[in-house]
This record gives sequence, C-alpha cells and structure tokens, in this order.
Amino acid sequence: MFFLQQLLNGIAQGSIYALMAIGYSIILGVVGLVSFVHGEVIMIGAFAGFYVLTFLYSNVLVALLAGFVATWALGMFIEKICYKPFRNAAREVALIATIGLSITLRSSAQIVFGTQQKFMPDMFGNRFFAVGDIRIAYTQVFVMLVVVALCIALRQLFFRTRFGIALRAVAMDKKAAALLGVNVNRTILFGNALACSLGGISGVLLGMYYNAVHPLMGATMAMKAFTSTVFGGLTSTTGAAIGGLLLGIFENLGVAFLSSGYRDIIAFLILIVVLLIKPSGLLGRKGVEL
Amino acid sequence: MIKRLIILSLVVILFLWISPASQAASDTIKIGLSAPITGNYAEFGENFNYAVQMAADKINAQGGINGKKVEIVVMDSKGDPRESALIAQRFVQDPNILAVIGDFTSTCSLAAAPIYERYGVVQLSPTASHPDFAPSGKYMFGIVGTQDAEGPFNAKYIAKEYLGLNSVAIIYINNDWGVVTKDRFAKAAQENGIKVTIEQPFFEGERDYNAILTKIRQTNPEGLFIAAMYNEASLICQQIRKMGWDVKLLAPSSVFSDSLLKLGGEAVEGLVTNTFFALNDPDPMVQEFIQEFRKRAGRDPNLHAACAYDAMLLLAEAIKKAGFDRKAIRDVLAETKGFQGVTGSITFTPVGDVVRKYKIMVVENGQWVIKKDYTRD
Repeated sequence: MFFLQQLLNGIAQGSIYALMAIGYSIILGVVGLVSFVHGEVIMIGAFAGFYVLTFLYSNVLVALLAGFVATWALGMFIEKICYKPFRNAAREVALIATIGLSITLRSSAQIVFGTQQKFMPDMFGNRFFAVGDIRIAYTQVFVMLVVVALCIALRQLFFRTRFGIALRAVAMDKKAAALLGVNVNRTILFGNALACSLGGISGVLLGMYYNAVHPLMGATMAMKAFTSTVFGGLTSTTGAAIGGLLLGIFENLGVAFLSSGYRDIIAFLILIVVLLIKPSGLLGRKGVEL
Repeated sequence: MIKRLIILSLVVILFLWISPASQAASDTIKIGLSAPITGNYAEFGENFNYAVQMAADKINAQGGINGKKVEIVVMDSKGDPRESALIAQRFVQDPNILAVIGDFTSTCSLAAAPIYERYGVVQLSPTASHPDFAPSGKYMFGIVGTQDAEGPFNAKYIAKEYLGLNSVAIIYINNDWGVVTKDRFAKAAQENGIKVTIEQPFFEGERDYNAILTKIRQTNPEGLFIAAMYNEASLICQQIRKMGWDVKLLAPSSVFSDSLLKLGGEAVEGLVTNTFFALNDPDPMVQEFIQEFRKRAGRDPNLHAACAYDAMLLLAEAIKKAGFDRKAIRDVLAETKGFQGVTGSITFTPVGDVVRKYKIMVVENGQWVIKKDYTRD
C-alpha cells in the first residue's frame, strides 16, 4: 500500500514534470536552442492562474486558460527579443539572452508580486477518495486528467494539422522546410509560444497541486524539466513526457525508501547517468523529431 | 559681608570640585541603544527605538531612576556587525553610558560582545537568540530565549499536557535552526514519555511534501511536530489535509504569524504553537503597551518591540538596585528572578539566557487563540 501510495504521488508529480518537459522539448526542436527562461515562464503562468482564481473567483478551467494566454504572449515576446534578432549570430548569444531575460523576469516578479509565498486556492479543497488504503486527492486526479488530455490534443495537433506538420518540418530541417514553402519564422514564433503556454499551464497545475505560488518557484522547475527532457531524449516529446513521469516517480520513491533530503540529488544523478550511458536519452535518436 | 564672600567662594569651590569629576552628579543617566535604524532590518530597529524610548518615558514620568532621568543614546548599526563593533567601541569609552541595549541580530550582538566584555559594560540584547550569544561573556544577556527553552516547553506542556500525545513524528527544515529545534524537542519528548516515531528532514524551498508525509504517516504517530517557518508549515498542513490525514499538529513559535493563517486557511485549524507575546493578551500591562505603541508608531508592536520594551524596564530595575556603577549593574542584573514584563516572567540562567515560559496558542476559526498562559507563573 505504502509503495502504491508513493507511486501515485510520483505519477501526479511526474505528470506535471511531463508537461513542462514537453514544452521544453518543443522549444529545443523548433528553436533549436536550450531555453533558460522556461522556469520563469512556468512561474508567470502560475501567477496568472493565481490572480484569476483569487481576484476573479473564477473556476480552475479559466485559471488554466489565463495561464495559457499569459504565457503564449510571453512566448511570442521571448521569441521576438531572445531568438529572432540573433538567428544568424552565434548560438551562445541567444542563450545568454534567455539567461538575462530569466533574471529580469524573476526580479521583476519579486517586485510586482512581492517576495512572499502566496496561497493558491483550488476548487477541490482537501477532498479525496480512497481505494483500499490509498487516498487519491481530487486535485491529483484533476492534474493527471489535464495532462493526459493535453497530450492527446498535442498528438492531434502534430499529426493532423498544417501547423503541426509545419512544426515537425521546421524541427527536422529549417532550410528544407523553407524550400517546401513553410513559413519558418512564423512557425518558430508560434511553436515557441505553444511550448511556453504548456509551461504556463503546468505552472497553474503546480500552484494548485501545492496550493502555493512563489516568484522563485521557476528555477528548480526548469531544472526538473530539463532533466526530464534529457532523460527522455532531447527533442522527442513522447520521450520528454515519459522522462518527466519517470523523474516524478523516482523522486517520490527515492524520498520514500531513502531519505527526504535526496529529492534533488536524484534528479541530478539521473541527468549525469543518462548523459554518461545514453546521451541521446531513452527515446532519442540522431537528428530531431517532434 | 566677608562671611557671605566666604560662603560664596566655598560654594563655587565645591561646585568646581564636584562637577568635572563625575557626570553622575548631573541629573540624567545614559543608556546606549545599538540597533539597525537603517538597512535591511530598519523596520525592526525602528521598533526597538520606539519601544525603548517608550519605556524610558514611562520611567521618567514616574520620577526616573533614583531621582535621575533616563536618556537613550541611539546609534545605527545598520544590521552590519562591523558597525555594531564600532558602536560598542564608542559606547564603552563614554563613561556616561551605564549599559547598552542591543543589537538586533545575533551576528551583530556577537561581534560587539568582546568589546563590551573587555570594558565591563552590559550588553542586553532583546532579540539575539543564538545559543552562543549569552554564554559568550559575563556581561552578555539575552532575553528572547533559545530552543533550549522552547523544545522542552513544547514537549512537556503542548505535546504531553495539552494534546495528551503518546507518540509524535517530527518533520524539520534541514538547517542550523531546524536541527537544533528538532533535537531539543525530540530529547524532551522522550524524557516526557512520548515516543518519537520518525524524524524526517526537508530542504529549504521544498514544495512537495507528499512523499515525506506518506512516509511519516506509515509510522502512525498521534501528533506531528513541524519545525519549520510559517510558509513551509502552511504547505505541510495543506498537504496533510489533502491526504485526509487526521493528525494533531504542533509547531514551535516560528509559525506564530498572521501569514500562517492566510497561507494555511482551513488546513491549519487546530494547529498548536507557543509564543510569549500576543496582541490579544488580556493582561492590562500588555494592552497598555500595545495601545501606547500603536499611538506612537502607527502600527502594531511585534515580539521584538515587546522584548526591547522589557529590556529597558529590566535595566532600570537593575540600576535602581545597583546604583550608577557598570559592574554593579551587571551583578544585580545577573540575579534577576521573576521580573514581570510585557513578555512575561524573566529569570536569568547562570550564563545570562532566559528560560522562557510560553502561552499555548491554537488556531481556531482562522484566529490565534490563547489557550493557556504560563508566562506569568
């Protein structure tokens, strides 16, 4: 029972990681760069959801939508100031631009939102149902359902829509995609916005799951998203999702059977071991795919 | 005529003879206040300033100490240990300063301690809670109390007597403070016949306690002692309630804050903690202090302000008995027993610390409610 309960905790946590990781791998695929600003995107999404829930007394779906919209806009902004101007410059320039933006966002958030942790309500309160000895919180179920629904929707988007096909084409080869008539700039712009908005939704879910938002919550989360992505295979969204899920499960089982101090160590250990043994990750292949 | 001249010259000679020899012959005495008036801790330093001045005015209104008015000499340490050491240097070399109140942080107080010790001047800190501060010299005194007092109080009066627990689990933040708090509580719990089922650390900034809590729950304790600051404690309580776990919650005074109520909501209902200064304390002396502080500062006093107020009253008592001699003041102060201030009863241990007694506070309907008050015993 203890094991199953911990497994459930791990899956709930892992599904949020998965969502962040999917966003991260889309950025890697479409833009072709590691983003250091993803943690702050997650944080901004969380705060957007927080303000909608607290001041407009809306329901959770509106909060998720707010997180989505706010970070979609932020994603377009990031593309405009961090990636586009430096598309023909050395890759490090864009990387450093994202680092700078992440520091700016984090510090501004502390000024605008205050440095204190804030209580974020969710509509489920402390309700749960029990299966045998295992207790499943409504919030956990909600989190998992949202993530699964989003994964299905993404799958449809990637394979059934022109935009999705364009995204995959750009991820594979920007020049060839351009030759075939894909508007590469526009695809990168919206691809990055989509990736960021997934981060924003995961921020809202995080806030609801822990009932707390904080201006510095992004930093560790970005690390977890990055680890999941590397774990799963850098640009494979399926791999990233599986990586996130596994990371969540490993962390929770690690805490359960080793010590609670080991949570972040586990994430780093996984990162190092994967890089040593299979640098391409679980599902990673040479080249890129979405 | 000659007689009058002789008397006049005698008076003049007497006057000249006495006045330069000792300022003590004047009608004021000086107390130093070393506090962070500017800088990061300015808010706390300001509270010190208001509270100490209030206490001095009260003493002066009652005729001062042995007929002399108290004057506070305020110096700004900016929360910087180098500044507090410089201030100490200036205070000790001014023979008119009889004793010093300050500094706010343990670090500043510790930095100034060797200087006060060398010159034999009392440094009475209202707020330094580091266990090393008071033992660092004969002239160092702290009145806020340390975990040496809080852990045993929590175990004996809250866990055993108030909640009637037979077993307790501990979750604690893995830093200096958390480890000391956990150790003192666990030791005292065992001495009081309470079984400690498990001790689990977590790191600063942790947000997900589900795994740790599930693990702790396996040991089936009747109560959970949360050694954390209020923001982490509120999250822990939320996640406990989400698990549907009905466990009795207790915590040290670090959670005693309005923010805990705001952040914790329903999840912190029934949480028990301890404090020795509360705004809703019905004691008339405390209420008088709170009203006067509000009038002067335009806000509510906090624990630090209350401690600073008591520090001044305590010093005045000691000077009244000891007279205007630095060493005598130290000796009388060290023997303080059962002094009643707004923060309760103060008795110094041999090293100059205070073993505090506390009020038991419980969250009821989103408010802190005083359940039992041991501070006046």
